Amino acid sequence: MKNKNKYIEIFIKSFSMDKKKFNEKIKYNDIPEWDSIGHMSLMSDLEEGFNISIDTDDIIDFSSFNKGIKILKKYKIV
Amino acid sequence: MKIEKNIKLWSSLGMRATFGLIAMELAKKHPDLMITTSDVSTSAGLDRYKKKYPDKFIDVGIAEQNLIGVSAGLSSEGFKVISTTFAPFQTMRCCEQIKVNLGYMKNKVCMVGLASGLVLGNLGFTHCCIEDVGTLRSIPNIAIVTPSDPFELFKVLNEALDYKDSVYIRLTAGSNTKIINDKDYKFKIGKAVEILPGKDVAIIGCGNILGNCIEAASMLREKKIQCSVVNMHTIKPIDEEKIKEIAKKNKLIVTVEEHNVLGGLGTSVAEVLASEVSNCKLVRIGINDFYSSGGSYEYLKKIYGLSVEKIIQTVLSNLKK
Repeated sequence: MKNKNKYIEIFIKSFSMDKKKFNEKIKYNDIPEWDSIGHMSLMSDLEEGFNISIDTDDIIDFSSFNKGIKILKKYKIV
Repeated sequence: MKIEKNIKLWSSLGMRATFGLIAMELAKKHPDLMITTSDVSTSAGLDRYKKKYPDKFIDVGIAEQNLIGVSAGLSSEGFKVISTTFAPFQTMRCCEQIKVNLGYMKNKVCMVGLASGLVLGNLGFTHCCIEDVGTLRSIPNIAIVTPSDPFELFKVLNEALDYKDSVYIRLTAGSNTKIINDKDYKFKIGKAVEILPGKDVAIIGCGNILGNCIEAASMLREKKIQCSVVNMHTIKPIDEEKIKEIAKKNKLIVTVEEHNVLGGLGTSVAEVLASEVSNCKLVRIGINDFYSSGGSYEYLKKIYGLSVEKIIQTVLSNLKK
């Protein structure tokens, strides 16, 4: 994934995370910031960052950082 | 819509995030839609909407009276308008504007009250909202609907935009809401939905607290008590016909609401029963007209008698009397 670093940056910025605490195994609800409202903000930031429009089904399915990589591939973010 | 297939996942997002998702769908369906807020785009799950439709989104800032004034003005110019902020501020801070601009002048606005009931218990009763239904119920020309889960919210919002009057949509619970409706069903504002059939006791509830009602009814069935559960999602106009039918069939009606027992669902049911000749007893469970200290959602539900165990106890003790 060529845009992986950008994806990680958006993740960290969206949740105001400490870079050192980030790991790729992170899942929905693992940290207080990634609650349902944080999830919608993350989707918004990804849409803006990659200039895409994520389908509703994919927003619901976006359950982890790694699942996000698979979903973003559908939008040609590779 | 595809979205209907995802009830389970949708519920994990809860009402507020689902509201944000639905807003995106509604914008496609209604080109004349405007959403107004008082500084809550993120909290309402509306960040995506705000970026995608900047010309159809107005944040008036923390100025709720203006929220209703601006919304009413947009409505009078022919827009379909959804206003939203946290429930106490969406209803009581701008109550006079709701009365005059919406009730009296009949400008149509769908007001979405976020995080109503007890879910913000840790912030205390400045943010909990147990008075919104009672306050708005006395204003003519405003319907009041409390969706039971995110799937029902989808149905309510779709119908509310085309409803004849302004509608107050009261959102309860946080994320990971209990699934009340696990398959599709017919929804109409003002028409109650029977979730479980029964003939001894009827529990009438609204909002996500219906999850506790369903659990309580299932446990009562194990004790051979045939307990029905009715989703009275619309508190105004109340489904009088359904309440009268329930009163004829049952010995006991128990209303369950995340609201003061004065002025809300229980009061509405009592008003219908008062005009009926019936032997059916009514017991109202809810906030018993007092403010407790703040606490977690689960804690507050327990102390106000809204936990599964307390609902069962109330049913059993009133059946014995």
